[in-house]
Amino acid sequence: MKTVRKTTVLKGAVTGQWKSVTLASALGAAHQTGEAAVPLLIGVVIDEAVRTGAGGRLVFWIGVLAAVFVALSLSFRFSLRCGEKASHQAAHEVRTELAARVLSAHGGAAHGRLSGELANIATSDAQRVGQVNLGLPIAFAAVVGVLVGAVALLRVSVVLGLLVLVAAPVLLGLAHFLGKPLERRSDAEQDRAALASGVAADLVAGLRALKGIGAEATAAQRYRVTSRSSMEAAIRAARSRAWLDGSMLAMTGVFLAIVALVGGHLAASGSISVGELVAAVGLAQFLLWPLSIFSWVNGLFAQGRASAARVAEVLAAPPVVPPGSSPLPASAPGRVELTDVVSGSLRGVSLTASPGELLGVVARDPADAVSLLAVLAREVDPTAGSVTLDGLPLSSVESSALRSAVLVAAHDADLFEGSVRDNVAAGGSQVDEAMDAARVDDVARALPDGLDTVISARGRSLSGGQRQRVALARALAAAPPVLVVHDPTTAVDAVTEVSLATGIKRMRSGLTTIVVATSPALLAAADRVVFLASGAVVSSGAHADLVADEDYRLVVLS
Amino acid sequence: MRELLATASGTRTWAAVGELVRPRRGLAWGALLVLLAGTAVGLITAPMLGRIVDLVGAGSSALAWPVVVLVLVAVAQGVSTAFGTSLVARLGEGMLADLREKFVERALHLPLERVEKAGAGDLTSRVTRDVQVIADAVRNALPVMARAALTIGLTVVGIAVLDWRFLIPVLLALPIHVHTVRWYGGRAVRLYASQRVAVGVQQQQLLDSIGGAATVRTFGLASSHVARVRTRSQEAVDLALRGIRLLTRFYGRLNVAEFIGLAGVLVTGYLLVGAGSASVGTATAAALYFHSLFNPINAALALADDAQAATASLSRLVGVTDGPMPSVEGRVRPVDTTIKLAGVGYSYVDGHPVLRDIDLELGAGERVALVGASGAGKTTLAKLIAGVHEPTSGSITLGGVELGLAARSVALITQEVHVFAGPLVDDLRLARPDASDEDITAALARVGALGWASALPSGLDTVVGEGGHRLTVAQAQQLALARLVLADPPVAILDEATADAGSAGARELEEAAARALDGRTGLLVAHRLTQAATADRVVVLEAGRVVESGTHEQLLAAGGRYATLWAAWSGTRS
Repeated sequence: MKTVRKTTVLKGAVTGQWKSVTLASALGAAHQTGEAAVPLLIGVVIDEAVRTGAGGRLVFWIGVLAAVFVALSLSFRFSLRCGEKASHQAAHEVRTELAARVLSAHGGAAHGRLSGELANIATSDAQRVGQVNLGLPIAFAAVVGVLVGAVALLRVSVVLGLLVLVAAPVLLGLAHFLGKPLERRSDAEQDRAALASGVAADLVAGLRALKGIGAEATAAQRYRVTSRSSMEAAIRAARSRAWLDGSMLAMTGVFLAIVALVGGHLAASGSISVGELVAAVGLAQFLLWPLSIFSWVNGLFAQGRASAARVAEVLAAPPVVPPGSSPLPASAPGRVELTDVVSGSLRGVSLTASPGELLGVVARDPADAVSLLAVLAREVDPTAGSVTLDGLPLSSVESSALRSAVLVAAHDADLFEGSVRDNVAAGGSQVDEAMDAARVDDVARALPDGLDTVISARGRSLSGGQRQRVALARALAAAPPVLVVHDPTTAVDAVTEVSLATGIKRMRSGLTTIVVATSPALLAAADRVVFLASGAVVSSGAHADLVADEDYRLVVLS
Repeated sequence: MRELLATASGTRTWAAVGELVRPRRGLAWGALLVLLAGTAVGLITAPMLGRIVDLVGAGSSALAWPVVVLVLVAVAQGVSTAFGTSLVARLGEGMLADLREKFVERALHLPLERVEKAGAGDLTSRVTRDVQVIADAVRNALPVMARAALTIGLTVVGIAVLDWRFLIPVLLALPIHVHTVRWYGGRAVRLYASQRVAVGVQQQQLLDSIGGAATVRTFGLASSHVARVRTRSQEAVDLALRGIRLLTRFYGRLNVAEFIGLAGVLVTGYLLVGAGSASVGTATAAALYFHSLFNPINAALALADDAQAATASLSRLVGVTDGPMPSVEGRVRPVDTTIKLAGVGYSYVDGHPVLRDIDLELGAGERVALVGASGAGKTTLAKLIAGVHEPTSGSITLGGVELGLAARSVALITQEVHVFAGPLVDDLRLARPDASDEDITAALARVGALGWASALPSGLDTVVGEGGHRLTVAQAQQLALARLVLADPPVAILDEATADAGSAGARELEEAAARALDGRTGLLVAHRLTQAATADRVVVLEAGRVVESGTHEQLLAAGGRYATLWAAWSGTRS
């Protein structure tokens, strides 16, 4: 199935841009023909004008040369533009499709992949898939170039033509054969050479950590060692490549000498003219380029195929859970019920959040909290037992309806690039009330442009506490029938935490809320607290009563 | 206000290049001579082909000699190119290594305050992008440019030797080349700069949306995020295509120069042969010479903007390497490890004090918890004591010595944890290079990290950080604490070290932090009040002033702000 998908990706990239690809191919062929004509014309000018002194012929052939230059220059220009357009535009389409699949409500595409890796697939791999559109016209043009050159040479002399057409591919094959190990070694060394910049960037990224413990000199010393070994590797890589280039240069020279020797004898015996000899040497030189392009294009296609496979794998990823289909009633009372749920570390948990209740959940073992949130967000279906919303199993509800009815705000929720206000408004319409409840006013006061301050990607320009409050406000602004929040205040100072607890209670009055946390300030505000330990419910009651329990006290207040 | 790090002037940048070449003068001369010799030998090719044409024209078939010369030339040229390019690589890579080492050393010693003023991106982009641009230029542009420049120069000499009159058409083409490079250079630098920005923005958007995919799904934001990706990507594509249009127009102009030169050489040949002052072979050689110039000229000119970009990057690196190294002379050894703040005030912006009149003493070995609302000045106070900022008023002393002059420094662990890429033990040995394996395991055990660290795929030798095994935030924070234990500073400050770990992880980290601070004078910025409860002393900060100070019990008994806060926070009335 994967092979089918890989070819689908490649086919889609080419057919999506077929007009540009076709035009680029036709123009590229015209350009190659023009390039082949230049050495021929030099030979003709020498034969018909320079040697004979015929002025009229000179003017005529210089005119032809001008026309050929105009044609080859324009055809090259528009061929490259069309090819690049087809390449970049196809990459763009692949990139957008990947983003849509990764972000789609079904999920599953990111499974087991780091976000950097996915971003890399959407940039580098998409680009390599697109470059197939650049390689196709170039390959076509090279084929035409070889044919034109071959016909021209064979017309000059069959012997010379056959010599060039046999010797040139042999020469390139030999270069390829000799070059492969050198190239491999050079690539390996280049990877090692790249290490120095990676280490330097890493040290600068950790500058605060280094300075915090006074390790600047140690780090600089260690960098020197990396830098030196990278330098040695880079020199070895360059040396391999230099000898590869040098031997190619020598072989090309010897090849031309042989062509000149054979051509010279033919010219001396009168079977070809002097101008044809000049043209033959020029054509032999010219043919090396389209012939060498084949191995390059081949490499491009191999990369394109490998990248298409990676793209296809993401696009074909199955959803995490089978999507449900039933709609939800327009206004859900918001009763959440877990019955004997076995999932992850949970071993038969039953609990109910009644409509309008603010329920606190304390998990002694962090794994229990994670497992509970996963079933509530329906990232997994429980292996046994059931999770229902107003009597409907979560697994039967249509996924986007479920997401708007039960909002699970994760502890590590991300903020996005945009203003503080935009980030909160991304949740829903109750923006001002939510910002008030989450004390975003305090956050805004510390920022240069207040609520309009643009926060950088993933909210990294905010401190942990600021980020948490904006994320909490976003969840509150959505005002869903059921809101589940996980550790919303761990980076917030105690003074603010107390005020956030009040804010949540105020904003969520009449709506079902589950707070999974160990913060006493939040738990004190809850109507009821459920205490989980070792995957099961141990006790439940008001926070003030539960603190009498030694175990509970240990988790929450020590 | 952003205040970027220094950039060197053009003159200074070239002087710095001179300083890098000086210790390698011999190598530089050697590389130049070998390449020069190789190129000079290569020039024999065209006259030899011309000689064959003349011999054939005269009806002779004694072609053995010129062909043998052609073969020898080819071999000599190949060997000298390989050898010369290797020497250029040794020269360039050596200079590059010297430069980047000096840069990293200076960068690491820059005062944190200076780096922050410049914005985090400035130093990072210099160490990544600028170093990469220069490395690319050294590896790709330098050898090609060196060979192309020599070929062009020597070919012109070759044509002149052949017959100086053939230089006239070559000179006709020259103004077009000069104009084209000028026309292209400025545009290309600007366009490629905006293209890099667009690609960076696109990459950032992808990381932003894909990294936050779970959040995007939670809030049903997929369509707006896909639209954002589409817009950013299309912007990058449009700029890339504009770059291609510029490049093809550049080559179009060079085609004009090629035609004018080639047609001129042919016409000159026609005139000279007609006048009987040059042979057909000479005319052929001149035409072949000129035709063989096409590729090196295109190669050299196409790299002109790379060279320009590399020069700009170089000036940004030299700007930093020319900076001073902090001096360690005149440092005084503190008598003990007490910290004393007297009348300390600080303002980031004049007239807006963040801290006022702080009098505070941290006794040797005492662990003090700092409590207060956000914006109260906790982090600023921590940074002042760590020496990141200097107080606007008042003084801070460590063991009786003014902080800036003390021979021992104060360690600071902030919430921005970083795991250094490489084996875990190497990360830890940054704190103490001569630490034994026992020291390392002891430090990990002390912060409760030995369990998970030994369970890593390759134990303590597991490669962690960027590109390696990913540690959780809590693990990274434990690692930071283990580094603190190994560095063993007498005074340490922990700011928000437990903030991002989640509630269960936070408790473990608090315990680890407490153990890491054992035996040190310590200040910790407390978020959970339980941390304050176990400290030797609690200091409450409000609007930049110390409002309460005492043990947890004393402050509860006093019934002040701390007592009220504790009651509200813990949900108990104890």
